[in-house]
Amino acid sequence: MDLAALMLADSRFPGGGHVHSGGLEEAVARKLVTDLPSLQCFLVGRLRTAGLLNAVFAAAATRGRFAELDVELDVRTPSPAQRAASRMQGRGIARAARKAWPSDRLSDLLKATPEPHHPIIVGALVGDPRAAAQVVAYHAVTGPATGAIRLLGLDPFGVNAIIANLQVDMETVAAQAEQHANTAPADLPAPSAPGLDLLAEAHDRHHREEVRLFVS
Amino acid sequence: MKARAFLSAELVDGRTVVGEMRSMAPLRLVPRRGGVVHLVSSVTAPLGGDDLELHVRVGPGAHLELRGVAATLALPGHRPGGSRSVVRVEVDEGGSLDHVPEPTVVTRRACHEAVFTADLAAGACLRTREVLVLGRVGEPPGTLVSTLDVRRDGPLVRQTTRIGDPATDGSPAGLAGMRVLGTEFLCWGADVPEPVSHDWWSLVPLARGGSLATALAPDAVTAERALAEARRAHPGSSDLLTRSRTRFR
Repeated sequence: MDLAALMLADSRFPGGGHVHSGGLEEAVARKLVTDLPSLQCFLVGRLRTAGLLNAVFAAAATRGRFAELDVELDVRTPSPAQRAASRMQGRGIARAARKAWPSDRLSDLLKATPEPHHPIIVGALVGDPRAAAQVVAYHAVTGPATGAIRLLGLDPFGVNAIIANLQVDMETVAAQAEQHANTAPADLPAPSAPGLDLLAEAHDRHHREEVRLFVS
Repeated sequence: MKARAFLSAELVDGRTVVGEMRSMAPLRLVPRRGGVVHLVSSVTAPLGGDDLELHVRVGPGAHLELRGVAATLALPGHRPGGSRSVVRVEVDEGGSLDHVPEPTVVTRRACHEAVFTADLAAGACLRTREVLVLGRVGEPPGTLVSTLDVRRDGPLVRQTTRIGDPATDGSPAGLAGMRVLGTEFLCWGADVPEPVSHDWWSLVPLARGGSLATALAPDAVTAERALAEARRAHPGSSDLLTRSRTRFR
């Protein structure tokens, strides 16, 4: 895996991903996630739905076609709160990337979509479809996992072991995504995540009404 | 069983009439008054191996209501391979289609694929509802893959829901362990300006036009109630209500 992929996957990368819990905070507020087993259940479901969607778009974005991919990801993301969270993370990565990896490719992306979706900018920066898919599949679970440690005070070693145990699932998602690197944007898979859509909208509503730790 | 059915509706002297209609078992089309057509399954379907396609065309200015009369049971068959049912819709300028089938129950060992695609002209209206039930009471579901794909000068919504993987069915990210998923796509005049949400349902404006209601519920009645509540927040709901000739739910 190249350095850019490692840096993007690193939680210390200054892309602002730490303010997003991927629906976990709302799930915790409703007591749908309370301990390690229920966290694992949340993460597996998230990885196979939203994680797969993002991985597919990251792999596809390694081949350019940024404007088309932007439209196709938008129409696969019904929840406005999730679209906003994805673009906010994309914007955060763009800010860091302009300094770290200035390139024509990055300029093309930001010209086509000034506020790129998170997986699309990752694909544009990483270049290798498999590695790009791995990074966003990893992001799909690490954000909520860290959130669970902060919100529920779960044992960090236990949470870390859950992530490690998701290796097979993550590799499966990345392999599926890699196969779609050259697929026409309109024909890319569109896995839905009804639970995440509802959690994201409810979180957004609560976030405006009361104080929440995470933005999404 | 392979079946291809076709239905077209046109506006004649200010009234919607059914133009061409071709039923083919098990897809039986029963026209009622005032642009209402009931879709009746004349034999048990879909069974494994079935390949069913309904093509609907709504002409300029016509208003068609296509309704189910009973729940659809997706069942396994004797033949290998799953079943597939496709509804393909085209709505012309100023036309509208109100497509409200009854729930689909995914029974154990069923392997079904459902596809709904629509091409809308500018100014065309569409409401399409899908209620998916995971198994009969006390029964685990088989597998179902359902795709919603609506275009109007480019895509408006594309999503594929998979049912039958316990890891996603049971996860709060997927179906949250609920037995029923209801979705309703609305492209009926202005979209909902802001998302409206409750814990287990929401009505949201889509990125490129159209609105989508989503509901998760322990049973079909609750899911349909939630969709109805979501729909009431939509600016087009009163127009839908006046146009609807049949029971409005």
